Amino acid sequence: MNKKIIFFFIAVLWVIVVAAMIISKQSILRKGKAVLLETLPVDPRDLLRGDYVILRYKISTLDLDQVKSEKPYYKTGEVIYVRLEPRDKFWEATAVEVKRSADSGIYIRGKVGYCYRKELGVIYGIESYFVPEGEGREIERNIRREKSSVNVEAVVDSKGNALIKKVYIDKNS
Amino acid sequence: MIFGLVFWLLVIYFVARGFSSRRRRGYRWLQRELPSWEQKNIINAEQGDAILSLYKLKRIEPRRKMDMVKVLTLIGAIFVGVGVIFFVASNWQRIPAPIKTILIMSVTIFTLYMGYLFSYQKEGFVYLGKSLLLLASLFWGGTIALIGQIYNIPTSQNWFIMLLWAFPIVPIAIFFDNAYVHILASALFLIWNFLYTVNNSVANYYYPIIIFLFMLPTARKLLISRRINIIGLLVASLYCCFYKYEWLSLLVSVGLLIYYLIQREEFVYLYASSLSFIFWTITFFTVRKIHPNFYFFIPIEIILYLTYKDKIRENLIMCLVGLLVWLNLSIYSFCLAFGYKFNVINFIVMQSLAGMVIYIIGIISKNREYVFSEIYKVFGYLVTFVCTYLLSFQAMIELRAQVGLNNVYLAVCSFLIGIMALLVTNEARKGYFENKAVRLELFALASALLVNLILLASPSVLTCTLAANAVLVIFAIINIFLGVELKMSSIFTAGTVIFALFIITRYIDVGWKLKEKSLFFIVGGLIISSLGIFLEKQRRKVIERMKQNE
Repeated sequence: MNKKIIFFFIAVLWVIVVAAMIISKQSILRKGKAVLLETLPVDPRDLLRGDYVILRYKISTLDLDQVKSEKPYYKTGEVIYVRLEPRDKFWEATAVEVKRSADSGIYIRGKVGYCYRKELGVIYGIESYFVPEGEGREIERNIRREKSSVNVEAVVDSKGNALIKKVYIDKNS
Repeated sequence: MIFGLVFWLLVIYFVARGFSSRRRRGYRWLQRELPSWEQKNIINAEQGDAILSLYKLKRIEPRRKMDMVKVLTLIGAIFVGVGVIFFVASNWQRIPAPIKTILIMSVTIFTLYMGYLFSYQKEGFVYLGKSLLLLASLFWGGTIALIGQIYNIPTSQNWFIMLLWAFPIVPIAIFFDNAYVHILASALFLIWNFLYTVNNSVANYYYPIIIFLFMLPTARKLLISRRINIIGLLVASLYCCFYKYEWLSLLVSVGLLIYYLIQREEFVYLYASSLSFIFWTITFFTVRKIHPNFYFFIPIEIILYLTYKDKIRENLIMCLVGLLVWLNLSIYSFCLAFGYKFNVINFIVMQSLAGMVIYIIGIISKNREYVFSEIYKVFGYLVTFVCTYLLSFQAMIELRAQVGLNNVYLAVCSFLIGIMALLVTNEARKGYFENKAVRLELFALASALLVNLILLASPSVLTCTLAANAVLVIFAIINIFLGVELKMSSIFTAGTVIFALFIITRYIDVGWKLKEKSLFFIVGGLIISSLGIFLEKQRRKVIERMKQNE
């Protein structure tokens, strides 16, 4: 095969992959609804992408007695939709569904991490937030000393896909 | 079960290492020497080819001198590529994200173009071109990592980043025939499979399919890539034992076997397939528990046939281990089905008896001049010796008194003893056991068998401890006698090693209970050093005498 054609094929393929990644994420940011979520973070490091903060949300652990649920038990890895409703400052989970309802409410798509008795651990794919080198530790230190709190503005599209739009680090003192 | 798995993996390692390294060293020497014999007209080229084909060897190409330009451009490309990835990781926010993306993407495409240009358009810069293509592939990884960072793709989806890095560089590896990129892609696919399995808890069937369909067929001339992919497949098969993916493990095993049937000169496919089938049978057990895996006999028979047909000595060890693992898992399945508790002493006694059966097969093979007799003998000997050695510890025997006997193990032990009796009487009837050395070997086996019977029958700790220790001494003495009889220093040395091991472990067994630990170490050290000097002197003397008698 002609090497020139192969070169163009690879270059075009790479551009398409990058463009597809960017477009899919941008579409969530553009069309989605913004929700403010309360978090509890810690900080590790990723080899490829540097420092990041692990974000654990209040909606990451659901009490099945407190939220409306279709089933009493969910399998690990099962895809679920969690209905979010605004409560004071933050959005909170009110229902768990296996298939997204047709109503106009905000549903965030998640995967079941664990289900123990009535406690449901959910992963939404917005648990990592990448920060400039060295900042992760500082954020973590401040939170431990209760000097700051971290809240996340996430965007959820009509299919339930979520993306972090902004992270608010409020200094308490 | 983990104890059993670790035990058999150690047996494989030591036996295979012993055989393969000795054999390979000899073959490498032959491959290196042959061209010089041809140059000196001792043999002609046809005779050289005939010698090589006898051992299924290929001619080795004369070693090329290291090309400094090639090495430096390669190291330079790796450094720059890693530097860019670190730059992305530092998440420098003075440049806005869109500009960073456009910048890195442009540099990546430009590097790819330069790599193509130097590889195919400008003459004399092939290595520079290859290194630039590797650099472009590393930049590509940086680009994907940057986009993942900008959109905060969670670390639990790092497998996705790896896949997006690996897949688009495969065309460079295949169509531009770039070995470096092939190695990089192979390693990335391996990491992808690991991260995917760990994060999603789902069997990744795509990995073996990609490797079998794209990576292995294009790695025929690339040894490192081939090894990485085979290791990746074996790791994938090993995961299955823990994640219970029996079909994935079977797919990997069968795929490797098919590859061996296509490329018969690559023995490594058969080794890997045999090992993978062992992982499969373990996975089968973890999934189905009370159902023994009788299907295992189909692949093991095919592998045994190929092992004998292509005379691959090392793989016979793998087959023997596979059969023993299968036997143990099947017994455990029966124990679970009938509600018997696992019993470590019964387990070790059964291994020891199985080792004896294998050893007797070795003796018979040698008498009848069949191939691989020494593999059976060494393997059987090692298994029986290790089990007898473990049984000689007082703590083990005390366990026997506590847990009693398991009827399933007893039935299998009786069956193995029956097989031994049948084999020995059949051979004795034909007069194969007239040889003094063979009789000595049988005597050692009979002593070990007696200890196993005592262990099964007697609940007395003292009797069992004495019997197990006595048989170790018998093992040592018979090895020394056999060494002198057969004039083989290795067997003689093994005897002295067993004797030294016996003294040391008994000292530790008894002395460790003493309150004064400092005295234990000082006296122990002096005893062991003196014993070492004494045994070494005696060993040298006897070996010297053996040489003089020759």
